[in-house]
Amino acid sequence: MLAVQQISGAGQVLAQRAQLPAIDYGALAPLLVILGAACVAVVVEAFVPRPARWGAQVAVTVLGLAAAGAALGVHLSSGAGGVVTLAGTVAVDGPALFLWGTLLALGLGSALLIADRTVEPGGAFVADAAVRVGTAQDRAQNRAQRAQPGGTTPGGTRAAAAGGHEEMQTEVFPLFLFSLAGMMAFTAANDLLTMFVALEVLSLPLYLMCGLARRRRLLSQEAAVKYFLLGAFASAFFLYGVALLYGYAGSVALADISQASAGTDRSDTLLFGGLAMLVIGLMFKASVGPFHTWTPDVYQGAPTPVTAFMAACTKVAAFGAILRVLHVGFESTSWTWRGVLWGIAIASMVIGAILGLTQTDVKRMIAYSSVAHAGFILVGAMAMTPDGLSGTLFYLLAYGFTTLAAFGVVTLVRDAEGESTHLSQWAGLAKRSPLTAAVFGFLLFALAGIPLTSGFTAKFAVFSAALADGMAPLVVIALVASAVAAFFYLRVVVLMYFSEPAADGPTVSVPGGFTTAAITLGVVVTLLLGVLPSFALDWAALGGFTS
Amino acid sequence: MSALGALLTQAPAVPAGSMSTGEAVAFWILGPVALAGGLGMVIARNAVHSALWLVLTMLCLGALYMAQQAPFLGFVQIIVYTGAVMMLFLFVLMLVGRESSDSVIEVLRGQRIVGIGLGLGFAVLVVAALGRALTEVAPAGVAAQNAAPGGNPGSIGRALYTDYLFAFELTAVLLIVATVGAMVLGYSERARSRPTQRGLVEARIRGEQGRPSPLPGPGVFATANSVATPALLPDGSVAPESLSEIIESTRRDTIDSDMGGVAGPEADLGARALRGPEPPAGSDQEAGR
Repeated sequence: MLAVQQISGAGQVLAQRAQLPAIDYGALAPLLVILGAACVAVVVEAFVPRPARWGAQVAVTVLGLAAAGAALGVHLSSGAGGVVTLAGTVAVDGPALFLWGTLLALGLGSALLIADRTVEPGGAFVADAAVRVGTAQDRAQNRAQRAQPGGTTPGGTRAAAAGGHEEMQTEVFPLFLFSLAGMMAFTAANDLLTMFVALEVLSLPLYLMCGLARRRRLLSQEAAVKYFLLGAFASAFFLYGVALLYGYAGSVALADISQASAGTDRSDTLLFGGLAMLVIGLMFKASVGPFHTWTPDVYQGAPTPVTAFMAACTKVAAFGAILRVLHVGFESTSWTWRGVLWGIAIASMVIGAILGLTQTDVKRMIAYSSVAHAGFILVGAMAMTPDGLSGTLFYLLAYGFTTLAAFGVVTLVRDAEGESTHLSQWAGLAKRSPLTAAVFGFLLFALAGIPLTSGFTAKFAVFSAALADGMAPLVVIALVASAVAAFFYLRVVVLMYFSEPAADGPTVSVPGGFTTAAITLGVVVTLLLGVLPSFALDWAALGGFTS
Repeated sequence: MSALGALLTQAPAVPAGSMSTGEAVAFWILGPVALAGGLGMVIARNAVHSALWLVLTMLCLGALYMAQQAPFLGFVQIIVYTGAVMMLFLFVLMLVGRESSDSVIEVLRGQRIVGIGLGLGFAVLVVAALGRALTEVAPAGVAAQNAAPGGNPGSIGRALYTDYLFAFELTAVLLIVATVGAMVLGYSERARSRPTQRGLVEARIRGEQGRPSPLPGPGVFATANSVATPALLPDGSVAPESLSEIIESTRRDTIDSDMGGVAGPEADLGARALRGPEPPAGSDQEAGR
C-alpha cells in the first residue's frame, strides 16, 4: 500500500517537475543534421546491397555535410547571438559557430579523401577488416587488389567481375560522421559532463578508423590499439579531473566552476588538481607537448585520409574545448595556471621542432610538425583577450586546411607497396611531377609560416595577441621554434627540387576528382587566408563565449 | 554519476562530517578490500583473475554507496556493473581464450620499476593533496535528494532527462558506434562465403581460371602413361600444354638415372614413342618425354 502510494507519488512528481529543457533546434540544427546523417548512413550500411553502398554512403555523407552547412548559414544569417540551450549544457556562441563552420569544411575535405578510390584501387580502407592479417583470406584479398590495375591474373578478373571495383569497408562513412558530430558537440559543450561524452563520441570512431588501412595492416592495427589504450588513459584523467572539479564547485557547468572559483575561501587544491587532470586529457587529444607520444605512431599507421581527418579536425575540436574551458571556466584564475601552460607550450614547441628535424618519414615529420603547431596554438589560447581568441580560431582554420591538403598530397606519391613515405623516396620529386612538388612545397611554406601563406597570417595573429597580453618571452621562444621548424620543412623542399630522383623511386599517381578537389580546397584556402585574411579574421572576432 | 560516486567514496574520510560507528566500520573494512581488489586486478597475470579482482572492487564500492545513503546507486553498481557488464566481460574472455595472459617480457629495461615508482609518487601526491583539501569541506550528503519525492532514483532520473538530456542522448551515439565497430572488426562476410561447386563451375566456364577443361593427357597413341610422355595432336606434333613444366625445366642429366630406373637400361623410349618435332642432334631420348 505504502509502496503503491510512493510510486504513484513519484509518477506525479516526475510528471509535474521533469519538464524537458528548452531546445533551440535552429541553433543546434548543424549538429543534429550530422548526427541524423550518421544514423542514415548506418541504415544504408544495413539495407543497401554491397555494390551500391559506396555511392550511397558518399551521397549521404556529402549531402549531410552540405545540409549542415546550410543550416549553419541559416542560423548565422538569422543574426541570433550566442545561444545557450538544452538546460545550459550546449552553448552555440560565436566561437562554437566558427569552429562548426571550420569543422564542416574540413570534414568535407576529409570525406573527399576518404571516399577516393582512384589513387588506391578500392580506396585506402581494407575490404574486410575482420580477416586476420597473414591468413590465406588476407592474402587472397591482397592479391585481388594488387592485380586490379592490370586485371591479368585470375583473382583480379574475378574481383572486377564481382563489382567493377574492389570493395572497401564502407562503415568508415558513418563512423566518420559520428566522429565529426562528436567534435562539434565537443566544441559547444558548456559543461564538463557533456564535454566528456562528446570526447568519447569523437574518439571511439577514430580509434576504429585508424585500424582499417588496406596496406600495412599490422602497422595500422598497432596504431589503433596504441591510440585506443592511450586515449582511454587520457579519458580517465579527464574524468578524474571532472570529479575533482565537481567536488570543488558542486556542479560540472563551466559557468558554475568559474563562479565558485571567484572570491571564495575554499581550498584550491580540488580546483587546480581537477584543472590539471582536465588539461592532461584535453592536451592529449590536441597532441600537445609531453602528451604527444601517440601522435607520430598513429599518424604513420592510420590510413592517410584518416590521418588527415585526425590532424585537421581533432586539433580544431580539442583546441575549441581548451579555449572554452580556459576562457569560460578558468578565466579568473588565469594567473595561477598560466605558468604551467607556459611550460607545456614551450615543451610542445621544442619537442615538435627538434624531433621533427630527425624524422625520415613524411607522415611522422608532419606529425611532429603538428606537435610544434599545437604549441603555437596554445600560446594563443593562453592569451585571455578577444584578440587571442580570434587569433587562435583563425590559426585552427588555417592549420586545418594546410595539413589536410598536405596529407592529401602524401597519398599520391606511391610505389608498388603503397604510399612511399620515406623522405629519400621524395628526392627529385619535382622532376617527376612538377605540379605535385609545387603544391607540396607551397603547403610546407605555409606550415613554416612564410608570408603570402595562411601560416604567416595565423602565426602573426596569434603571436601579436600573445605579445599584447604580456607574454613576450614566450613569443620569442615560439619564434625561435618556428625558425627551427622551418628548417625541416625547407629541407624537404630542397630534397624535392635539388636532388636527383632515384632510379626505382615512387611514381606520382594522377588523382581522381575527389582527391583533387580536397587538395585544391586546402591549397586555395591556404592561399586565400594568406592573401586576404580579413574575412576569416572578422568572422573569428565576431563574438566571445556565452555561458 | 561517476563524479558523484568519486565524491561519495571520499566522503567517509572526512572527520568534519558526522559519521556513525557502523559507517566507519564498513568503510575501514570495505575500503582496504576494494583497494586490494584494484591492486590485484593490475597485478594478476591471468585475465580472468583480473576480472574477478575487479568484481571484488565493484562489489565493495556498491556496498559503500549503500552505506552512504545511496542504495539505488549501490544496487545499480552491483546489478549493472558487477552483474551484467563484468560477467559479459568474463564470457568474452572465456570465448577469446582464457589461456592468453600478459607477456612478462620487459621491452624497455627498468620500465616497470620506474613505472611503479612514478605511480606511487603520483598516488601519494593525489592522496596528500586531497586529504588536505577535504579536511575543511562539509560533506553535502544525499539526504536532501533522498527526501525529495521519488527519492534517490527519482532525482537521478530527473537529472538525466532534464539537465543532462543532451549527454544522455549522446551516449546513444556511443552505443551505435560500439555496435558498428564490433561488426567491422568481428564479422567477416568474406570468411563466410566460400565458393560453392556451382560457382566454381560457372567461373571455370567463364574462363576465369585459365582453361575450362583439364590439361591433355598422353592420349590413345601414347606408348607410355608416364607424366613425361607428351600428348600428341592429330597431326602428330606434341601438344605444348601437355608438357610438364617441372620436367621440361629440369636438366636432363639429373633425371637420367630415374628414367633409366623406370624404363630399364636397354629400353629405347624413342622407338616406341611417337615422335614430335625433331629434337636437337645428340639427344636420342629427348622425344621420349
